[in-house]
Amino acid sequence: MIEIKDLHKSYKMGSNSLHVLKGINFTAQSGELVAIMGSSGSGKSTLLNILGMLDGADNGAYILDGVPIKDLTETKAAQYRNKFLGFIFQSFNLINYKSALENVALPLYYQKVGRKERQVKALNYLERVGLKEWATHLPSELSGGQKQRVAIARAMAAEPKVLLADEPTGALDSKTSYEVMDLIQKINDEGNTILVVTHEEDIAHMCKRIVHLKDGVIVEDKKIEQVRAEQYV
Amino acid sequence: MFDRDIWQEIFHTLKNNKLRTFLTGFSVGWAIFILVMLLASVNGMQNGFTNQFNDDATNSIFIRPGTTSKAYAGFEAGRRIQFKNEDLDYIKNSFPEDVEYISARYFSNTTARYKSETGSYSVQGVHPDHQAIEKTIVVNGRYINNADIVNKAKVAVIGRKVSEDLFGQEDPIGKFVEFNNLPFRVVGVFTDDGDDNAERRIYAPVSTYQRIYGNTNIINQILLTYNPSYDLTKALEFSGRLEDLMKRRHKVSPLDQAGVNVWNYAEAFDDISSFSAVLNAISIGVGFLILVAGIVGIGNIMVFTIKERTKEIGVRKALGAMPKQIINLVLLESTFITALSGFIGLIFAWIILSLLGPAIDTPAFSNPSVSLSTVVTATIILIVAGVLAGLIPAIKAANVKPIVALSDK
Repeated sequence: MIEIKDLHKSYKMGSNSLHVLKGINFTAQSGELVAIMGSSGSGKSTLLNILGMLDGADNGAYILDGVPIKDLTETKAAQYRNKFLGFIFQSFNLINYKSALENVALPLYYQKVGRKERQVKALNYLERVGLKEWATHLPSELSGGQKQRVAIARAMAAEPKVLLADEPTGALDSKTSYEVMDLIQKINDEGNTILVVTHEEDIAHMCKRIVHLKDGVIVEDKKIEQVRAEQYV
Repeated sequence: MFDRDIWQEIFHTLKNNKLRTFLTGFSVGWAIFILVMLLASVNGMQNGFTNQFNDDATNSIFIRPGTTSKAYAGFEAGRRIQFKNEDLDYIKNSFPEDVEYISARYFSNTTARYKSETGSYSVQGVHPDHQAIEKTIVVNGRYINNADIVNKAKVAVIGRKVSEDLFGQEDPIGKFVEFNNLPFRVVGVFTDDGDDNAERRIYAPVSTYQRIYGNTNIINQILLTYNPSYDLTKALEFSGRLEDLMKRRHKVSPLDQAGVNVWNYAEAFDDISSFSAVLNAISIGVGFLILVAGIVGIGNIMVFTIKERTKEIGVRKALGAMPKQIINLVLLESTFITALSGFIGLIFAWIILSLLGPAIDTPAFSNPSVSLSTVVTATIILIVAGVLAGLIPAIKAANVKPIVALSDK
């Protein structure tokens, strides 16, 4: 599903150049649930940005579902993001003047799905994250956990190949974190490929594989025994 | 463009920022208001000028004798020139192609009396052609005719005010009035669009008055209209020839403007047209500059809005919004504010003009109004302005990196 070969990325910081990714090699199969771990500055967010086509790599190859991702125009990148990827952010990034339903329907709007169909699909995904009754509420009327569940529904709505979650539990207390992880695990159980960036050990252990980043290189890549979040909920 | 979701979003942002929307919209509305009012004012001035002139035929030429200011052909300066009947005949015979109507004017004053009513009026001795030149409208009876001239008949065409003063409700036609104790028969009553003073005038055959005042053949003024098919150049060329001829005939220096004065309406009309064209250009210029200020205001606010919504735009892009869609959103919003507030300004100006305009009728300023073409032009300007105002902010928005939305820790 995801194939990365010898990925390099450096940022210009004034006159200095900061080499963030120093040759990453990584593959993920369809249906995997991978945790990307690392301390701050290890390059994990940069890796996720490149995977999410929000940033380009300096060197190396990135192949997503058989499609080489290279030299994208803004428009092409937007199309690929819409088609291939679903994003889950730490701070949810819901659009605050749109209802939960409208937020979930937004990626479908950019896929040019008709208004009626959009509503039906969005409501269906809201139901799957257990927030059907909250469809007409604004984000400001939802709790943190509910917001993240709306965001997950939104990421799912476009039916992407890969879900990218950047510290999805970073802004939540541990109980809510486990609820969100439970949801992510269930989505993964249905066969969806999910990448989770986190620095929390317990969250990482709820995935099926942990990739450790340190100073721009992968220092550890191991399959683990998944801890089910269900038991803590 | 007719996407319901886009409009929903635009209305939402406008609703959430009512004061901001109002303040930005106000600058554009105000600019359009000023532009329309300026154009209407120029139009009012133009109307005022035209009204002053349309009293008379626009193709008329006045020839007035005066006193020479230059010595010429053996004569000293200060000689008084006088026109006689022969001058009129001479012009008529010299320019049969050019002259349409021609009439003399012989000025006099009279005390008119009918029964117990009296009044003092100015009398003009004229030819029948005078009616066409002055555009006199006879509402009752008839004008002076050729038989009156030949017979030196004591007949008079009186103004409406004169009729009211002397006859009250009575029908004056066929009645006799005494002008300085001489009985004149009233044959007609006229009105004049020009002003009330014109209706306090009396017309009589020129020949009659010349006989009453010592059997002279002197006339005070010659007025004529030239062939109406003439354009400005031809009209000016003709009045030039006329002037040369009259000056030569009366031995006045060709450079002497005081000796014989030939005054062509076309010239004045030409001056006025170019004058109001310049005024029009100035008001469009001023209005446009004010509008530019309004556009900059909207552009400014849009830049601010984009800055405020950077994160949201980033999220939209991460969700698959294409740059084109973001640009559309911003452009539509700015065009919408501009067009809407511009229309409000336009409607305000229009309401004020249609309420007050018809009531304003002074010699220099009359019925200020705007034409449909002005409204259409203003609308096009507004839409273009809205697009211009949104263009830079829209490009800025499209260039927002979605990464900004992610790096929020």
